[in-house]
Amino acid sequence: MSDEFLMKNGEKQMNNIAIKVENLVKKFGKGENEVTVINGADFTLKKGEFAALVAPSGAGKTTLLMMIGCVLEPTSGRIEIGGEVVYDNKWTVKDDRALRRKKLGFIFQAHYLIPFLNVEENVSLLPYENGEPEKVVKPRVKGLLDYLGVGDKLKNMPSELSGGQNQRVAIARALANNPSIILADEPTAALDTKRSVDVVKLLRKIAKEKEVTIIMVTHDDRLLPYCDKVLTIVDKKVEVKEQLEGVII
Amino acid sequence: MINLAFKDIKHSFTKFIITAISVGILLGIVIIMIGVYRGMIFDAKELVKDIKADLWVVQQDTLGPFAQTSKVHEDLKDRISYQDGVKYAEGITFQNIQMQNSYGAFKVMLVGYDPLGKIKVINPNKIIAGRALKNEHYEIVVSQKTHYKLGEKIKLGRDYYTVVGITKNTVSNGGDYLMFVSLKDAQILQFTYTNERIRSDEARGIKGDNPHLVNAVIAKLKDGYNPKIVAKNIEDATHKTVFTKGEQIKLLLQRVIKKSSKQIGMFTAILIIVSIVIIALIIYTMTLEKIKEISILKLIGISNLKIIKMIMQETLILGILAFISGNIFARLIAGKFPKRVVLELGDAWALFAVIIVASIFASVFGVYKVLKTDPSEAIGG
Repeated sequence: MSDEFLMKNGEKQMNNIAIKVENLVKKFGKGENEVTVINGADFTLKKGEFAALVAPSGAGKTTLLMMIGCVLEPTSGRIEIGGEVVYDNKWTVKDDRALRRKKLGFIFQAHYLIPFLNVEENVSLLPYENGEPEKVVKPRVKGLLDYLGVGDKLKNMPSELSGGQNQRVAIARALANNPSIILADEPTAALDTKRSVDVVKLLRKIAKEKEVTIIMVTHDDRLLPYCDKVLTIVDKKVEVKEQLEGVII
Repeated sequence: MINLAFKDIKHSFTKFIITAISVGILLGIVIIMIGVYRGMIFDAKELVKDIKADLWVVQQDTLGPFAQTSKVHEDLKDRISYQDGVKYAEGITFQNIQMQNSYGAFKVMLVGYDPLGKIKVINPNKIIAGRALKNEHYEIVVSQKTHYKLGEKIKLGRDYYTVVGITKNTVSNGGDYLMFVSLKDAQILQFTYTNERIRSDEARGIKGDNPHLVNAVIAKLKDGYNPKIVAKNIEDATHKTVFTKGEQIKLLLQRVIKKSSKQIGMFTAILIIVSIVIIALIIYTMTLEKIKEISILKLIGISNLKIIKMIMQETLILGILAFISGNIFARLIAGKFPKRVVLELGDAWALFAVIIVASIFASVFGVYKVLKTDPSEAIGG
């Protein structure tokens, strides 16, 4: 193979990386009270990959997710998001809020929609905050809600929708700013088995069709077959298991 | 664009409106207190302004007749009438009396003046029924708030007086209702004693009573004369103290109602501070209620500025609605107060400015809470 081929292939590989975590450490407390939650996490996720993050309660799943989301400051290590180094033993990104609203999408255990905004407004909030014009935002939001099967609930308030419908709206909100990464913290925790499977299938579809990298925290082993990778926190480190063979599509 | 404040208010409209009205009632009380303060000042000046006199001649070295007791001989008016620049001079008396009728007990200031004199003591614009005094005996003009009717007989001292006129908005410097009788009747009421008292005085070597006294002599000046110069001339000639109309008003404001008005002023200031604290607490509580939503907004990437804008807009809207409802409340109940409440537009605007500034100040606590909210609070685990 020529050097040129190797370089181009290398660049392509680099451009294809959505999340790169190197030797990430997170400690809480000081002195005698110091607790190490993550101790040297290393993993890489490519664009369009759908990964599950599993570990027992208190093992640091949400902590890891929040560090990747630039919400919680790591103790040391390196985080790269979409080719941009955001943390290298200190924050290198100036405006974490702007990074989140432009590159990341969040889905939580509960839908956590803003109760005083209707479905359309909840989903439109971030694109408007990013300065996108109404003529661009409105059709995109409508399209997203149609895609997620709640297009007829545009003017409904969250209190008027079922749990599953609200979770779909929450997914639409996470997608509305065209993020390259979605961080989902137990998005199926409040749903029954059937709805959980529906949501996970939907997330997988989104990952593949929209080339969005998704990390989903889950306790439910039945959902793992839908993921490309399973990240497990073992001994405060992250073990990565590829599951190319077993993935249900 | 989405205005978070309007959306939040719309979502909890009833609660927001009830909160605004509750704060408004508090502000309404502040407005009423300012009105009571203004009313005191207004009342203090009203009687002196109504009496069309340029000079007030009172007992030497006194601040009479309102701030201090003053007695001068009635015939002093004749000496004063001859002074250069004086057009007319007449005696006048003031006496506080307690009255009782079917509406209850009340305090009245009885004003005695010469019904045949040239100086107007009752402002004709304030007579709403009947007429001013015409005869030298047994007629009385009363304030509407005493609830006496035209033609009704009122017993004062030993005699009965017929109500011949009813006035509106006539009050003493202390806010008491006014009643007007002729000077001669007033002198009998104030300066004559009972037979027992006269006998007792005679036993002590005091001979008889002297009803020919007045509390002050009021004078009207000819056109073109400087009241201060004429006052000085009268003082030199009569050894009495003379006040111009302006000085008499100043005296009332500075000596008679100074402490009362200060007290009301202090109370008003405290009420304003209490209102600010309550608005601040309400805004802080409203912010706390939304803390979950705020942490979600921060987590998904909404800027602090947009969240702070929401808090401040809600605070301002609350302040404006509270101010409007406070004004409506104040105007509805102002007339129910026994003493005059003067609601001035200037005061309302000044309070509006204070409330707006206070609301912004009050929102600082809410804003501080927003800035301190950790976005990771949105997520458990």
